Amino acid sequence: MQSSISNPLRIGLRQERVIPPQCLVIFGASGDLTHRKLIPALFELFLQRRIPSEFAIVGCARRPWSDEEFKEKMSIKLASKISNNEKEWSKFKKYLFYEPVDLQEELQVERLAKRLIKIDKLQATHGNKTFYLSVSPNFYGSGCKALKKAGLLEDPLKSRVVIEKPFGRDYSSARKLNRIVQSCADESQIYRIDHYLGKETVQNILVLRFANTIFEPIWNRNYISNIQITSSETVGVEDRAGYYETSGALRDMLQNHLTQMLAVISMEPPGRFDPEAIRNEKAKVLQATKLADEQEPWRCCIRGQYQEGGNDSNPLRGYRKEPGVNPNSTTETYIATKVFIDNWRWQGVPFYLRTGKRLPKRLGEIVLTFKDVPVHLFESTIINPSPNQLIIRIQPDEGATFKFEVKSPGSGMKSRPVEMEFSYDESFGEPSDEGYVRLLADSMLGDPTLFTRSDEVEAAWKLYTPLIDLMENAPWKLPIHKYESKTWGPSESDQLLAKDNIFWRRP
Amino acid sequence: MKPQLTLQTPLEIPSEEISNYLNKLWISEGEDNAGANTFSLIVWQPSWLEQRLVKSNLINGPITGHLSEEVINAAKSLILKNGLPLATSLYSKDLFDLIQVNAIDNSSEDLRGQFFEASISTLNPRRLITLAPTFFDNSDIKTFVSAYCPLNEENKDQTICGDLVVLRGGSNSILKKGLEIVEELSIHDLPAWLWWNSSLDDSPKIFDYFTRNGKRLIIDTANGSTKRCIDILCNALEYKKSINDLNWLRLKSWRESLAMIFDPPSRRTLLDHISQIDVDIEGDHIIQALFLISWISVKLGWIFLETSYKSDSLIIKFKRNNGEQVSTAINPLPVGNPSIHSGQVIGLRLISKISKDPKRNTCIILGSESVECMRLEAGGMADMHLIEEVVPSSFLSSEADVSKLLASSRGSTSPLFEEAIKTASLIFKNINNI
Repeated sequence: MQSSISNPLRIGLRQERVIPPQCLVIFGASGDLTHRKLIPALFELFLQRRIPSEFAIVGCARRPWSDEEFKEKMSIKLASKISNNEKEWSKFKKYLFYEPVDLQEELQVERLAKRLIKIDKLQATHGNKTFYLSVSPNFYGSGCKALKKAGLLEDPLKSRVVIEKPFGRDYSSARKLNRIVQSCADESQIYRIDHYLGKETVQNILVLRFANTIFEPIWNRNYISNIQITSSETVGVEDRAGYYETSGALRDMLQNHLTQMLAVISMEPPGRFDPEAIRNEKAKVLQATKLADEQEPWRCCIRGQYQEGGNDSNPLRGYRKEPGVNPNSTTETYIATKVFIDNWRWQGVPFYLRTGKRLPKRLGEIVLTFKDVPVHLFESTIINPSPNQLIIRIQPDEGATFKFEVKSPGSGMKSRPVEMEFSYDESFGEPSDEGYVRLLADSMLGDPTLFTRSDEVEAAWKLYTPLIDLMENAPWKLPIHKYESKTWGPSESDQLLAKDNIFWRRP
Repeated sequence: MKPQLTLQTPLEIPSEEISNYLNKLWISEGEDNAGANTFSLIVWQPSWLEQRLVKSNLINGPITGHLSEEVINAAKSLILKNGLPLATSLYSKDLFDLIQVNAIDNSSEDLRGQFFEASISTLNPRRLITLAPTFFDNSDIKTFVSAYCPLNEENKDQTICGDLVVLRGGSNSILKKGLEIVEELSIHDLPAWLWWNSSLDDSPKIFDYFTRNGKRLIIDTANGSTKRCIDILCNALEYKKSINDLNWLRLKSWRESLAMIFDPPSRRTLLDHISQIDVDIEGDHIIQALFLISWISVKLGWIFLETSYKSDSLIIKFKRNNGEQVSTAINPLPVGNPSIHSGQVIGLRLISKISKDPKRNTCIILGSESVECMRLEAGGMADMHLIEEVVPSSFLSSEADVSKLLASSRGSTSPLFEEAIKTASLIFKNINNI
């Protein structure tokens, strides 16, 4: 009785917040992110009728393109996405403008400011501006300074800056960058983006925890034995070697995406659903998070790098042989670490975080393993009764699974594990929006709930400072372990958990 | 009682001086306090029931314009004592006729326009204009003015201020002079909403003035004869005037709950086999149920065929795409403690017949309480595959509904509502021809 049609009663029912008149200025408009994520997300918002008629998107980059060239290039890059919506695209294209700007050149930024006044009048955007810095992280500070100098951030209610990750390279650089950015704009104007927080399933963690009575009473050290957070990719470094060589898995994934998931899963309930209340709780829990062994941090972290793998028909290169990668690179493409949270709720509960490239599956998941029952009354059909687990799947196949024991059919009283399943696809049958759709809309709506605040970013960097110090000053203490492409990371990573008599969940 | 919006009692000043007074007020407050850049809200606030109850000494004053527990209880006990149907509207002439007004009694204070729920004041309307008609149609207009600065709990340092104008006088005087004053007080750069906080049968000339006048209308079709409500809605559509109905807004949880049932793709096929829908309502004001059935029929592509009556129930028939008929019914039910909003939907039963074997068919029941779900289970429905949901009946005050609307809408008529109005009006015309 399956049907692929969408639910006709749902059409038009969802009341989405409509973005107010707005001029979105994208710096780095000639880069990949603009045509891969930002413009598609904005077009999706347009298709959802959430873009007001008083709207403009101004692409800015050093390339000397005209408005028409920018439109043309976006049309070509997005050809596959717009083929079914050509009429809508031709309407959407009218919002696109382009201004050649080098953010380091004062005169060019001033020229941009004048152009924005004209566009504001032309498109009636009421002076509302959102500046999206999709540029090299080296230019975040100077970019903000240039915008401030040109008077573009003067009105805290009408101007905002969206900053992509990575925000800093470590704790001190993040603090320094925060100080620079905050000297240019009020914290309420700064939107530090982490696209993981734009994912429906990450937001669903808040609803799952705080809209149900059954989870919160057991969401603590009394019932949970450990929590695993995994984000794995099947792809290698691809064409991002230049960036990746300077960042690695810790800076690229662990410090931001995984740590944000950790914050959402472990934070205390906020007093109300309000951006600051939520961000306060996230910041508090991150400030209470510590590496499992701060004195000897190499004991709680494993770094890895992918080697050759695949098969004869599809051989896969090792990381050091990837184009643009130093043949002696010590950049980690895999990292696993163990942390504790020093508060009443989580004292003594280990959190294991792992992320890597060229792993067997692309997925993001959080696994809460509950404590064993105090007395085993029943024999299990397998060796031991398996502990209850709640598995929250962030991607793909978004949803949740709850594992528990039931009586195995038959005359005896043996138990065996079964799974209770919730799948977004099966329950809602509608695809979720891409993270950027949600986050771009929120930034233009002035809703910072899903953006990271300065203290969160700093706390996240501070957490990993002992590891970064080791990597930079005594790398031999945190060696790179090799792992074959398309395997679940180095065996040392398994040992990290085995010491605690725990195993990584094999998804 | 709701919080008083103004710290000081509004000052009575001659109408011709209001504009000047307000301009001076904002200039003297300095540039940083130039007033909220939000919207104007004009409220038609006759509060006829409260005025009558106070003037007949059935309740104590002052008159606040608020449909308080005291007002509701007094009205309900009158309804009960005089044998009127329990679901009698609080705006009905039958109820008003029961209250002997002591016309000479002018001793009660009239504080209409000074009390608003925090949910509205925290939206910071830039200008709140209350039209407060009194009993004597021709009594002169008095105008009162004040500024207000609601405290924002989240940002205590930032107070955003607005002003408040009350026009009190007879309906004729409001029509002749009051509307002119309202026009003069309009802030042209800001959107202006008109909330008709009364029956739609009340003061049609004044209402029609506002519909012509380009204001964003907020009405409540729970109050007013069905014919008048449908006429107003159809006119608004015809002349492309924005209109928002609190009665439609209150259907939201029903629409959402019903849609939710069919979210799992495995249930979508049931939609192609719907053969019967029953909608239970409180009392006999059918318009909300009519909207609900119209919305379903539009979304499922049904074609309206005919209406008929079976006992008290209104039967509405449609044709599905495959030519089969769907029979829907609106069933007025007597209830013990009806909502203050007339004709609210309290139950919905939807039958999807895939097979002649009842066990293979599905019955979906939405009820405002489990008792209603159980009632709808009767008649063998429980033999079918049963899906039940209790739709929480969140009957908020009208002000809370208005604040929700103001906070979420850009003022234009909801496309879903527009579609539902068209079908509802088609059905209603047919009812009148029965």
